[in-house]
Amino acid sequence: MRYGLAVGVAASWPRALAAPMVGGVTDEEFVLGMSAAFSGPSRGLGIELYRGATAYFEHVNSQGGVRGRRVTLKTYDDKYQPDPCVKNTTTLMLEDQVFLLFGYVGTPTVTRVLPLLKKFQDRSMFLFFPFTGAQPQRQPPYDSFAFNLRASYAQETGGLVDNFIKAGRRRIAVFYQADAYGRSGWAGVRAALRRHGERIAGEATYKRGTKFTSIMRRQVEILKQADPQAVICIGAYAACAAFARDAVDMGLRVPIANLSFVGSENMLKLLTESDTRADADPARYTKWLVNSQVVPSYEDASIPAVVEYRELMARHDPMPPAELVTEDYQRFPQSFVSLEGFLNAKLMVEVLKRLGDKPAREGLEEAVFSVRDVDIGLGELVSFAPDRRQALQRVYYTAVDDGRFVTLDDWQTRFSLNGANGA
Amino acid sequence: MAGDGKVKVKRLFQKTLFGIVGMLGLIGLSTSWLAIDTVEGHLSEEYVSNSRNIAKTIADASVDILLNRDLATLQSLIDQFLGIQGIKYIYITNENGEYIAHTFVPGIPQEILDSDPNDTETVNRDLPGIGACVEVGSPILTGEAGTVHVGMDNGLIALKISAAIGQQVWLIGAAFILGVGGAIWFVHLAAKPIGQVLAYAATLAESTTVPPNDGEDLLERKDEAGDLARLFRFFAGAADEADKADKQSATPDGGGSADAAEPAGTGDSSP
Repeated sequence: MRYGLAVGVAASWPRALAAPMVGGVTDEEFVLGMSAAFSGPSRGLGIELYRGATAYFEHVNSQGGVRGRRVTLKTYDDKYQPDPCVKNTTTLMLEDQVFLLFGYVGTPTVTRVLPLLKKFQDRSMFLFFPFTGAQPQRQPPYDSFAFNLRASYAQETGGLVDNFIKAGRRRIAVFYQADAYGRSGWAGVRAALRRHGERIAGEATYKRGTKFTSIMRRQVEILKQADPQAVICIGAYAACAAFARDAVDMGLRVPIANLSFVGSENMLKLLTESDTRADADPARYTKWLVNSQVVPSYEDASIPAVVEYRELMARHDPMPPAELVTEDYQRFPQSFVSLEGFLNAKLMVEVLKRLGDKPAREGLEEAVFSVRDVDIGLGELVSFAPDRRQALQRVYYTAVDDGRFVTLDDWQTRFSLNGANGA
Repeated sequence: MAGDGKVKVKRLFQKTLFGIVGMLGLIGLSTSWLAIDTVEGHLSEEYVSNSRNIAKTIADASVDILLNRDLATLQSLIDQFLGIQGIKYIYITNENGEYIAHTFVPGIPQEILDSDPNDTETVNRDLPGIGACVEVGSPILTGEAGTVHVGMDNGLIALKISAAIGQQVWLIGAAFILGVGGAIWFVHLAAKPIGQVLAYAATLAESTTVPPNDGEDLLERKDEAGDLARLFRFFAGAADEADKADKQSATPDGGGSADAAEPAGTGDSSP
């Protein structure tokens, strides 16, 4: 069974009927393959990542493409499940023969795809900028098959732990997805706490695919027994929002941190819309949230890439094909996830440009490694090298004010044990 | 004994029939018990053995991951094994007894937290939200790098044992029913000629003369029933002759009379 449907992002571009497709590239186009969640409880991640990337690709295509070649995404839905993702990847590599793999979503999915890349390494197939900060594609034996844009979960969890401990919160518990993603984050928290001479105070898990309507009271009870001073969640928005809701309802009043993968806007939407009482405090479920991000705030107009992103998102406002989005979804004009997708596409185009006039997969590594101190509009220079396969290193922290995520600069005031929001 | 020309032989063979049925029942029960015990033992052993193999496979695969890779890969590995039918949970502890990967939701059960994390003995557990399981363990690098624990569903093995035992019991039950049916049929087969002999004897006893054609089939039999019938006929004939001789000697003219035609079997002439 094939999951999802393959669709190009530049439907209006005239098709070059005569041009034969060799290795995912013709004189007219680059075909990139993407497998992501477009349905199920985590569909917001795949949809927003696609929207951000497509906004930029459409812009490039409207400007004449990359050296005359338009960039096309061939896209399949994997529902954020490993087996469909593996099947989609096989299809993309062997049947569709895409030029490269781009913008995959999730750790459990990507972790299972990596051995495929090694198996077909003679095809020089690379995975570019997956939406995961896990370690498997960052270290041997699979690091040579992937290139990352974003900071790792180890960097995100390390930063969260450091900041909580600075704020006097040393007893840190973990709520995580019972899979490779959750374990990756759990391992990051564990390592960071070790550096401070601490251990994980308590842990609770949930199953991948859990919906917001699920009850998380048992998980909250388990963590309450550990008497934590902060909880770090490693999950997707639906489950993490359900946990935050039940934690507040059950009196667990401690900061609840989430990683970038969570999908902050979707989480915020669920939490702010869950209490429908007329006299409900809109900040009831959100004032304890602190989310780490791997891209800057999309509200920060001082960053050129953000300005460009906002403009192109407004202009193109893309959506995945209707065949892929089979469930109701309300898109966000801007989001951290779509901004990441946008930056992925921006760097991808930069790499494609460096392939020259006769692009081939075999030249991809060289093209990537030629990216040195390049500014993609973030102010943070991007470089790649054989021993440096991650472009960005910075982690940003956000909290909810007035119903939106804003940059969190002052942890002491907000989350100190004796601070304004402290217990 | 005699009635409507048929004689039912009940008392003689009833005890035999009960004896045969009882013996078949005893054989059936003891065979069933033995089969249940054997099947249960073998299947349970095989189940535990398979579980140990799975645990060992994970343990072997974990060595490289633990030494060279990351815990996300280790978790991905055990998640794939969790898809195997019958596996309820997997957890891996490191050499310090720390739970470094597991599949429990919403958390590690207290019973497991309270147990020795490096123990590889087979244990039966009844965990809340999971149910009855048999847990096996396998050391990683002879325990120097940790231990893999696999919990197998006891419900599934019970189901498989029940199915296997059900088949055995069904077979033995069918054999029992067949045996009882056969026993009844054989007893009937054996009782039928004896009944015929008895009925024939009764006919002879009730007749004044030996009917020339009566019991012809019986008399032609080459078995013990035929022998008995012929013997009865012989005795009846002899008694008839003796009766005639008695009557002739009792008559003064020594000639025959109409009295000679009186039934020989009236009175106490029954055999």
